[in-house]
Amino acid sequence: MSATTTDSPLAIDFCGLHFANPLVLLSGCVGFGEEYTRVEGFSNRDAGAICLKGTTLEPRLGNQPHRVYETPDGMLNSIGLQNPGVGIVVDEILPTLDFSETRFIANVSGSTVEEYEQVTRRFDNSPIDAIEINISCPNVKQGGVAFGNDPQMSARVVEACRRATNKPLITKLSPNQTDIAANAKHCIEAGSDAFSVINTLMGMAIDIESRRPIIGNNQGGLSGPAIKPVALLKVHQVYQVCKAHGIPIIGQGGVNSAEDALEFIIAGATAVGVGTALFYDPLICHKINSGIAAYLGKHKLQSIMQLTGSLRLNEPPKAHCGC
Amino acid sequence: MENKPHRDTIFSEQAQILSHQACAGEQYILRVAAPKCAANALPGSFAHIKVAPALLLRRPISIMRTSATEGWVEFLYKAVGEGTRLLATRQPGEMLDMLGPIGTAFKFESGRSRPLLIGGGVGMPPMIFAAQQLRGNDLFKPLAILGSEVPFPFRPRPSRILIPAMPDGVIACMPLLDDWGIPCRLASQQGYAGCYQGFVTDLARDWLNTLDREQLNQVEIFACGPHPMLAAVAMLAAELDLPCQVSLEEYMACGVGGCAGCVVPVKTGATSQAMKRVCVDGPVFDARQVFF
Repeated sequence: MSATTTDSPLAIDFCGLHFANPLVLLSGCVGFGEEYTRVEGFSNRDAGAICLKGTTLEPRLGNQPHRVYETPDGMLNSIGLQNPGVGIVVDEILPTLDFSETRFIANVSGSTVEEYEQVTRRFDNSPIDAIEINISCPNVKQGGVAFGNDPQMSARVVEACRRATNKPLITKLSPNQTDIAANAKHCIEAGSDAFSVINTLMGMAIDIESRRPIIGNNQGGLSGPAIKPVALLKVHQVYQVCKAHGIPIIGQGGVNSAEDALEFIIAGATAVGVGTALFYDPLICHKINSGIAAYLGKHKLQSIMQLTGSLRLNEPPKAHCGC
Repeated sequence: MENKPHRDTIFSEQAQILSHQACAGEQYILRVAAPKCAANALPGSFAHIKVAPALLLRRPISIMRTSATEGWVEFLYKAVGEGTRLLATRQPGEMLDMLGPIGTAFKFESGRSRPLLIGGGVGMPPMIFAAQQLRGNDLFKPLAILGSEVPFPFRPRPSRILIPAMPDGVIACMPLLDDWGIPCRLASQQGYAGCYQGFVTDLARDWLNTLDREQLNQVEIFACGPHPMLAAVAMLAAELDLPCQVSLEEYMACGVGGCAGCVVPVKTGATSQAMKRVCVDGPVFDARQVFF
């Protein structure tokens, strides 16, 4: 579909891909694309794109239970990249997906730079629409956030994946790093076409009776409304690097309503990720999309894309302090 | 929908609370109007309930029985954590946001005619639901053994159904099951009148030991309860070479298979394992696959 096709105010262009609306169902929240269709009233068409579960070269069992735990206004998870391996994903799962319903994005992970490249190459030769590079998973010992927190290593992973595909490459950035904008700059130079901002924040919960962490892997990634302010700031920071290059961002972290989604878009996101919110409201995409449409109507905006990065920062006081 | 039979099998309903009865031991019997769930639930199914606005995640609650014709679903749960404690505060007339039914069901397909239903504590509901399904079916001669270490969430009474080879004095039953014609006995270590003094597995073993091999070949065990109880049931089943299905629980987030948060290790071969989701790959599993 043409990059310029925007048939509704909600439609966006994302790296030349047409998304029917700005919502992206996030990796790790929706399995391999069919899980939520179990719920009557849910349709894959409700999302502009669906990002599949993190995929490695070989199958992975993932981490021991417990893997999830509710925390104030959020939750911890430590799944550990459980997946059947890229061969099964490409040969057996992708053929079952209906690519007329939405865009499907692969999520690539690995323990080594070479593994990232190999998995990307396998997806390059598949109908997948785009590839997200997960250099921010907090729940694996090698790769993941260990790569994502090191700008040089992040760039090496992106470079390797870039060699393996011409499909749009989205780099998923971690909030667990000192300077996310500097990292984004390295990734752009290495060939990243877009960013997902942010992955989960690392956290812990403790059972005070047993004095053990509740999560089997001891620590996990915090998601949900609790992290939204952190995510918004990170999107704003990464957007400062991206805007000159026209590089789009999938803003994500605690999106729970149309208002949340609009905040992310105003901060600099082109698309908005929905993850944890699906767990408590599987039909939330309808509500977010209709809320965004109402906002566009109210503000007489022709397209959601007009709103991206429209944040007007407060000016510092001009007068000198008189104290 | 072609080749996608899983689609549209879980229903989102605003379920009005019809009754909510507090029982001893912080146990509650909750009945809600949820016609789609009621029409589609099977023994083993659960509903994923948004218990209160204050909590983000839903809570999975086992279904105890349903009426498809009247459109209600009934649960028995114990207030053990923040979620179930908040659920306990909800009043008749209020609405609960509910997803269901979810999960695999107990399968009565092995050709064995004597299902032995073993339920412990808040593991009783799926067994009661199984009894409801088996009720009036001449192909099966079920026996239910229910255990609790807090007062039962019903008033036990002497059974009207004679069960050969039951230990002397073990006569108490769950009235509902008795009324359905399902033989039932109760076990507890609390010395409740008419109950077997001991674990459900001890009573099950006593009864199974009275059967000859031909009769044992007709037995299949179905169980739900605390993990140590299920481990003991699985061991008993393995010892007597009986097929056994167990229903598990685990912390859960999405409840529809999307997050892989609720997995349990499952044996898939002599040396191989997989992580299976309790929500949609279970909650019912072959005991030999999960206790090894």
